[in-house]
Amino acid sequence: MLRRTFLLGIGILSASSLLAQNRLRVAAAADLEPVLPPILESFQRDTGIPVDATYQASAALTAQIMNGAPFDLFLSADLSYPKRLIDAGFADAAGSADSSTPITYARGTLVLWTRKDASLPVPSLDLLQSPTLKRLAIANPERAPYGRAAVAALTSLKLYDTLKPRIVTAENIAQAAQFVDSGNADAGLISLTSALTPRLTSSGTYFVIPRELYPPLEQGAVIVSKTSQRAAVHRLLDFLLSPAVQTQLAKAGLTPVK
Amino acid sequence: MDWQALALTLRLATLTTALLLVLSVPVAALCVLGRSRWLGLLEALTTLPLVLPPTVLGFFLLVLLGPRTAFGRGITALLGHPLAFSFSGLVVGSILYSAPFAVQPLVAGFAAVEPALVDAARLLGASPARIVFTLFLPLAKRSLLAAGVLTFLHTVGEFGVVLMLGGDIPGATRTLSILLYNQVENFDYAAANRTVAVLLTLSVGALVAIYAGNRPRGGSRA
Repeated sequence: MLRRTFLLGIGILSASSLLAQNRLRVAAAADLEPVLPPILESFQRDTGIPVDATYQASAALTAQIMNGAPFDLFLSADLSYPKRLIDAGFADAAGSADSSTPITYARGTLVLWTRKDASLPVPSLDLLQSPTLKRLAIANPERAPYGRAAVAALTSLKLYDTLKPRIVTAENIAQAAQFVDSGNADAGLISLTSALTPRLTSSGTYFVIPRELYPPLEQGAVIVSKTSQRAAVHRLLDFLLSPAVQTQLAKAGLTPVK
Repeated sequence: MDWQALALTLRLATLTTALLLVLSVPVAALCVLGRSRWLGLLEALTTLPLVLPPTVLGFFLLVLLGPRTAFGRGITALLGHPLAFSFSGLVVGSILYSAPFAVQPLVAGFAAVEPALVDAARLLGASPARIVFTLFLPLAKRSLLAAGVLTFLHTVGEFGVVLMLGGDIPGATRTLSILLYNQVENFDYAAANRTVAVLLTLSVGALVAIYAGNRPRGGSRA
């Protein structure tokens, strides 16, 4: 009896791993969480290829891929992490013009976000100079691309040193938004993709930080080199870069690259 | 090695352990001595922090202590500053987060005290406080020690609550576990290894000293 249960268990395990083999597994940056699911759903409908996505900080996903995580495609929130994977031999951009450079699939936009019920002026660059701004939330500038962009923008405005003691650092852009949305920080420099989610559009307003104030937030994709499903990965990449999907990205707060 | 983060972590763990022990002894004594069925609920409540993912617990605390709840506004008015993103906020979070590790060993220790002794004390008219001080605490010394050590270590290793409630401010809320996480996430494995080495050496040293000094007397183990 015990042996039969054991064999049955092994059978179920191997059957489920066989099933899993046909699924594409995408490692996606956390800022894509509000954007990507409907896109992957329509890809699945159009092609019949099932896709699963895991959303985490780009840095965490990079460490996981370096240690053998079973992903096929990595959609990062910047270019440095995918580049790092290419340089270390874990990923490539085979099939594109330059196989050693990540494929840029979108550009991010930094916004200043406040709650509507905060007793602050409407978000603008002036708000950043206002003494009523007691706490400004940003994502971790050492690794979150939007955190880096936030520090770059404040530095271009020559406000970084003044604001530094008032900055609270969140682990990622979603947490920075939570700091502000819960009322604990007065304003936050977050992604337009977060600001456009239903939750944050109903509770707050945003101001788009002028693009010349920070280096472009190019988001890069790479193919995890040990994937066994290259053809399917390329179909997904082509799909992401297709005009229809790029328009969809624009609506969700990412600037199209095509 | 970031000594500031280490000092901050030790300060947080010491303060949390001291406050939590003071709070947990009456709670555990009530759970053991009380007759009401509602005390089951009290004991259950003190173990609840184990069920929630720590970042989610941190998020609830962030909302609860923030200016959008009456409670949060009250605390802010009382202290003159909001609790979120401050050291005192971390102490509050740590007390809640580590409560199971203080209350459970104490309940187990107090409950293991010979019931005949407790009944005799009661018959002689001893107050619950006297029972705690003359029976429970001396007889359940090792449980008290276990509660203290577990609370301290659990607070040193606390991550999710601090991450949510802290805001990573050097000198105020950047604890050793946040620093370590940053080092690992930034691929600075060499620095992370050094931090871990310091942390492990200190912990092992302190634990061995504590446990060696509190070994049960020979023979009582038989």
